[in-house]
Amino acid sequence: MILEIIKMSFDSLMAKKTRSFLSMLGIIIGVATVIAVFAVGKGAQESVNSQFRNLSANSIMIMSTRGRGSVSSSKLVTSDAQAILEQAENIASATGAIQGNATVSYGSTENSYGIVGVDHNYINVSNLKIETGRGIEEEDVSGRSMVAVIGATIASDFFIDGEDPIGAIITVGGKRLEVVGILKKLGSRLGMISIDEAVIIPSSTAEKSILGTKGQVMIVTTVDNVDNTGIATSSIASVLRSEHKLSTTQENDFNIMDAGSMVAAAQESAKTMTSLLTAIAAITLLVSGIGIMNVMFVTVAERTKEIGIAKAIGGKQSDILLQFLLESVILSMVGGLIGMAIGQALIPIISYFNLIAMASSATGPIIGFSFSVVVGIFFGFYPAFKASRLDPVDALRSE
Amino acid sequence: MNNDVVIKLVDVHKSYYLANGEEIPVLKGINLEIKKGEFVAIMGESGGGKTTLLNVVGCLHPLSKGKYFLSGENIGEVRDDFTLAFIRNKKMGFIFQQFNLFSRFSALRNVALPALYAGTPCEDRENKAKKLLGSVGMGSRMNHKPTELSGGQQQRVAICRSLINNPEIILADEPTGALDSKSGLEVMDIFTDFKKQGRTVIMVTHTAEVAKYADRIIYLRDGQVLDNDYKLKSEY
Repeated sequence: MILEIIKMSFDSLMAKKTRSFLSMLGIIIGVATVIAVFAVGKGAQESVNSQFRNLSANSIMIMSTRGRGSVSSSKLVTSDAQAILEQAENIASATGAIQGNATVSYGSTENSYGIVGVDHNYINVSNLKIETGRGIEEEDVSGRSMVAVIGATIASDFFIDGEDPIGAIITVGGKRLEVVGILKKLGSRLGMISIDEAVIIPSSTAEKSILGTKGQVMIVTTVDNVDNTGIATSSIASVLRSEHKLSTTQENDFNIMDAGSMVAAAQESAKTMTSLLTAIAAITLLVSGIGIMNVMFVTVAERTKEIGIAKAIGGKQSDILLQFLLESVILSMVGGLIGMAIGQALIPIISYFNLIAMASSATGPIIGFSFSVVVGIFFGFYPAFKASRLDPVDALRSE
Repeated sequence: MNNDVVIKLVDVHKSYYLANGEEIPVLKGINLEIKKGEFVAIMGESGGGKTTLLNVVGCLHPLSKGKYFLSGENIGEVRDDFTLAFIRNKKMGFIFQQFNLFSRFSALRNVALPALYAGTPCEDRENKAKKLLGSVGMGSRMNHKPTELSGGQQQRVAICRSLINNPEIILADEPTGALDSKSGLEVMDIFTDFKKQGRTVIMVTHTAEVAKYADRIIYLRDGQVLDNDYKLKSEY
């Protein structure tokens, strides 16, 4: 019986193909949006995770505020790391780095890469591994050596034919540096810099010869215990204020961020984006539901006579309700399926053009499809109910 | 009450209400009895309440006042859709002037539809429908849609539809009104067969040529029964 009623519903939808398709369009767009939203949400989550993967929970980062806010110049230098390590409380390690960009060339290959000037602790504190060669050592920093440790991507870009990079001379920002080591491939980002595409050099060399004042100074410290993060943060602030000889009326010329709150902030903004997009998807589905309701009202009006006949030959209110409800559910379900297909197809296309980070998730299609069915039932019910309650004689009289 | 009486109306009133609340009385105290197996024609002037009476008997309209005994049971106060739909589906078969077939469905599906509402399994429905269509000479056209059939053929399909659940009572509203005289005669032949099958037939008509097939004519005027056994003039 139900099968026959489903068949009847299908027949009447097929009889009005254009109308059926147009009323499905809203659902198609809605469901595709839901899937895209979930993919963007998951993509954002994953990119947050990969940015901070190498940051342990007990890290604290200090960055200069140069050029930002009311502080015009920052006295933050990589050697402040040493002062923090010696004077601040609960600090297990501290390493200074200076970041910037410079043109790097070798032979005929030339490209702009991230440059990180570091001290001898940096590679360990940042959880980086050396693939071949050595890292930056204490003497490199004190002696301002012209040496470089290069990221895995640079190594494979520059040295193609199995050439040994160790000992090769590359040009960084116009200065000739000897490659002494290659980092293991990381695959993710470390803060703002992609380590695989970075050249690591001694901080003294970077500050004095290559980046100069263009570099952004960053100090990475670790706390002996995550619970002491608060104490350590205020202690670092007072050490730096006295090192920089700031008077009590002057603002800090540095920013202190602990890993926990950085991750939390990034996740919070990813969440905000997801909920914003979810709201858009919900509105789209709502509007498409209203569209379906409209179309169903038109359909009921057109088939009033049919409803009268059905009642005269013994159709119950529930039979008529079921038939019209099924029509709207079929509309929204088919729309949902098409929307799912389009949404899933969009993810690789958008990822290919690198427009926005997306990752396909199972929840997107499931939620999108379930919502389309719910929309069909919810917005189809009222027109179907109205149809089922029509007076049989009035309905028969209509043309 | 006589067991032979299938339909008995006692002081039945039916009014329509306009949007402004004004009452338009259509049936003003109808009293009638129809026996099992009787073929009754309802005649009368336009606006006299013939179709309204048929709709009341067919449970399409609730009564405003009065009693309606169907096989001895007063159903005048029944308002529950499930019961009324059951009566329309199983006890009665409706035949309309304009056939009222579903234009999207084939003749076969049109005929089988009341059986679908009755919950008859698919195969039984189709077999019954095919048999009925065969019996009225529509066996070769059962997969045609109504638009591909002539008026007489459409009415034969509609008659099959009214019979699929084997109802006791056939209600027909001007069944030949939209047909040429030859098709009309064919339809009336089928109606004569109803009597042989023991069915009770109530037919609304305004033409004497059709009414003469009936056992009895009830004449309505202004919402009341003018004559319970109206005699046609002898030339018919």
